[in-house]
Amino acid sequence: MISILEFLARLAVWLFLAPLLPGVINKVKAWVAGRRGPPVLQLYYDLARLWHKGVVVSTFASPGFIAGPAVAWVAVLAAALLLPLGPLGTSLSFRGDVILLIYLLALARFCTAWAALETGSAFEGMGAAREVSYAVLAEAAVITAVLTLSMQSGSVSLSAMLTPSVGPGAVLLAVGLFAVLLAENCRVPFDDPNTHLELTMIHEVMVLDHSGPPLAAVLHGAAMKLLLFSVLLVQAVLPIGELSVAAASGAMIGGVLLVTVAVGFTESLTARVAFRRVPLLLTTAFLLCVFALLIAWKGGAA
Amino acid sequence: MMMDWLIAGAVIMLVAAALSGARFPRVWLALTLAGTATLLATAFWTLGGGAEWDWRSSFAVGGERIHLRLDALSAWFLALVAVVGGGGAVYARGYWPDCEHPASAGRGRTWWSMLVLCMSLVLLCANGLHFLMAWEAFALSAFFLITLERERRETRAAGWLYLAASHAGTLGLFAFFSLLATKTGSWELGPMRDHAELAPLFWVALFGFGVKAGMFPLHIWLPSAHANAPSHVSAIMSGVAIKMGLYGLVRFSGWLPLPAGAGWVVLALGAVSAVLGAAFALAQNDLKRLLAYCSVENMGVILIGLGVALLGTANGDTAWGRLAMAGALLHVWNHGAFKALLFFGAGSVLHATGTREMSRLGGLWRAMPWTASLFAFGSAAISALPPLNGFVSEWLVYLGLFDAAASHTRVAVAIVPATIALGVTGALALAGFVKASAVVFLGAPRTQVAVHAHECGWWMRAPMLALAGICACLALAPAAVWPFISRVLVGWRSAWSGGKPPASLITLGYTHLALAASLTVAAIALWFRSRTNGVRRALTWDCGYALPTARMQYTGGSFAALASGWFGWVLRPERRLHWPRGPFPRQADFVERIPETVLERVIGPVGDAVMVASAWVRQRQQGSLPDYILYLVAALAAMGALVLFGSI
Repeated sequence: MISILEFLARLAVWLFLAPLLPGVINKVKAWVAGRRGPPVLQLYYDLARLWHKGVVVSTFASPGFIAGPAVAWVAVLAAALLLPLGPLGTSLSFRGDVILLIYLLALARFCTAWAALETGSAFEGMGAAREVSYAVLAEAAVITAVLTLSMQSGSVSLSAMLTPSVGPGAVLLAVGLFAVLLAENCRVPFDDPNTHLELTMIHEVMVLDHSGPPLAAVLHGAAMKLLLFSVLLVQAVLPIGELSVAAASGAMIGGVLLVTVAVGFTESLTARVAFRRVPLLLTTAFLLCVFALLIAWKGGAA
Repeated sequence: MMMDWLIAGAVIMLVAAALSGARFPRVWLALTLAGTATLLATAFWTLGGGAEWDWRSSFAVGGERIHLRLDALSAWFLALVAVVGGGGAVYARGYWPDCEHPASAGRGRTWWSMLVLCMSLVLLCANGLHFLMAWEAFALSAFFLITLERERRETRAAGWLYLAASHAGTLGLFAFFSLLATKTGSWELGPMRDHAELAPLFWVALFGFGVKAGMFPLHIWLPSAHANAPSHVSAIMSGVAIKMGLYGLVRFSGWLPLPAGAGWVVLALGAVSAVLGAAFALAQNDLKRLLAYCSVENMGVILIGLGVALLGTANGDTAWGRLAMAGALLHVWNHGAFKALLFFGAGSVLHATGTREMSRLGGLWRAMPWTASLFAFGSAAISALPPLNGFVSEWLVYLGLFDAAASHTRVAVAIVPATIALGVTGALALAGFVKASAVVFLGAPRTQVAVHAHECGWWMRAPMLALAGICACLALAPAAVWPFISRVLVGWRSAWSGGKPPASLITLGYTHLALAASLTVAAIALWFRSRTNGVRRALTWDCGYALPTARMQYTGGSFAALASGWFGWVLRPERRLHWPRGPFPRQADFVERIPETVLERVIGPVGDAVMVASAWVRQRQQGSLPDYILYLVAALAAMGALVLFGSI
């Protein structure tokens, strides 16, 4: 009974708190720019509105066009549920769950790209190509980061891996993972969620043809993915598992907010880099993770 | 006793099938199916805990008595031979019927049964001499199957290349088996780990079997052979035949003592094959060539598992070695199933449109919904996406790698790069398969052939459905095959006890079930919600452009351009581009070809050099007597010098 309640609580956190993050980012950006900006809850309004709207489907699209966002959404949610939520713990923990998490995100990527290519639009093809290509480099960084955590803790399950802090390599890992967060969630400097030029986008251009409930699933999934990466980043760096419940909750909430605000500031203060420089940026993130890995390796051997 | 009869029955049925193939297609199909079903039964009997089958003939062939043996390791590969052999026979009836290929259909049936028979014999032979005979017969039947369509020039070229490469490998195996026989004094094969002097032979075996397994850079024959063979042949070549090379590696790495560097080298070869195979696959524009390169990638994944296992045995039979080996073995089955499925799907596309060129296809899902959904299923499975079977085996390999890395021993130097390589491979394979399935099946038809495509018949659909079913079973109940795997592990290294399935594997199975259920529910729910809200069909939004044409879609080449650009140093694409010039451009074209780098840049030049040298030598053979006398004197002088100084 208790476990069901706990599961529902975790589900509620992921489902209902995730759309807050884009709102916070937008508020920060508005504040830096000296505007009032949209309300923090704007995404909730958008989702509610989209859920009741009709759907326009391209004449070329197969049923996969609607199934794609649904599968991607479930994949992201499942990946999120595998991730421990600080003091709330995790729903399911087993050896190797971290690999399942990474590949669930890959499943979401496959389905998003698939749905984008359904329409036969050159722009969406472009976006899908960029998404799957940059993911190659991001994947290398993520695997390295996970290896670092695994070597540090001597474990392959998320709850044990994320309990202690990374130690001396924490800063390197934090910066590396933050860059991966920006790339995977299509934020500046990799991508601009606010642009209205299809040619310059990655993620936003893939969902150009979506509308109504499928678009709601896409937007909500993206918000959950942002929360997922923030939670992962905070827990990878801070020794959440070693704190008391109150301190851990505070650290979690504070950490996630800090990450979100940092995303907002990055977005306000930097420009999107040219596409040919994106691989360079991602390689830098990968190298940072490699250095963190080397530190963890030396630390473990000593 | 029962096993004697079953295996004898299977052999007789397959021989009878080969004899009847040319004239009686129905009898052939019935006999092949019965033969493969019997083989499958014997394989599962052995895997399910039956006693090891061992049989010696009273007569001799080639001076040696025939010795056949079926243990768990042979049975593991035999099951794959039987499944794809039977499925491909059914598929061939729809794909390569007499009415469309009157000249080659009968031949194809005969050689198909021969191929299945010879591969089974390779798995059963426990005598080096007969192993070589079966191996050669297997290579030859594969050659005749690849060149079924021999009126096409590319097919002939692919066939010759295959034959040459295959024999280069066989040469290595001749050396291997004869050295083995000389050192042990008998052709009998069996565990001989206490003969430490045999260890260097592993390198010879690695070359000989590596050619067949298609590991980079020995894969040169593989892409063209798999692309130009009829699709059911590509399926068995890619799904099963290359696994024979792997069988040899696994078998002899279990029986022979290993040199110190074996695990390191296999791991490195696996990582290189995986990453470069995936990169080459992504860059291809030919659907079947893409699938062929993807086989190189998957063999790389299996070799990574094997390499970790070998490192594990060198470090005192560690648990992580076992996990990685279990993953490698499971990937053998998985890859056999989904690669055969994908080649069947590609064959169905080729049958319907007459082209393998992806840039001429598109939008096929409307005409071929079965093929499209089955191909998509296979693509997701081969990209190792949960909740499908490819993920289970890669997950086991990952577990082995992570545990090895966390052990903080010296092996981590190799393990860490291999893990990263495996991650990169996964992302590249995903990109490649998004490209393959989307460019072929989604969007708008790019040419008329794609508009007039038609769905394949039930003869072709049924084997695809069966293979997809196998993939689904392996995905949702991975723990059910663990007893088989653990028996194979025990057979491989007798010191290894298999034990119960790891608890996390059982959990993963349940997670897959839950995931599959929720994915289905979510897709249906979203579909219903959209329908209640109202679905309107409209033109694709193309930045407001009102008259998009099918040729404006993103092509496979442009889709892959970004990621394959990073591998330009090894892909070396050849591009010819005529820019459109002036206000009313007449002519503009762009041709891109991805060469076979190893073949054209390494083997080709070496071959050319040999030809030049031979031509020079030929010029010295002009029939002029003084020259010959000069050669004789020179040779005598050289021999004299050898005798004089050689004895010092």
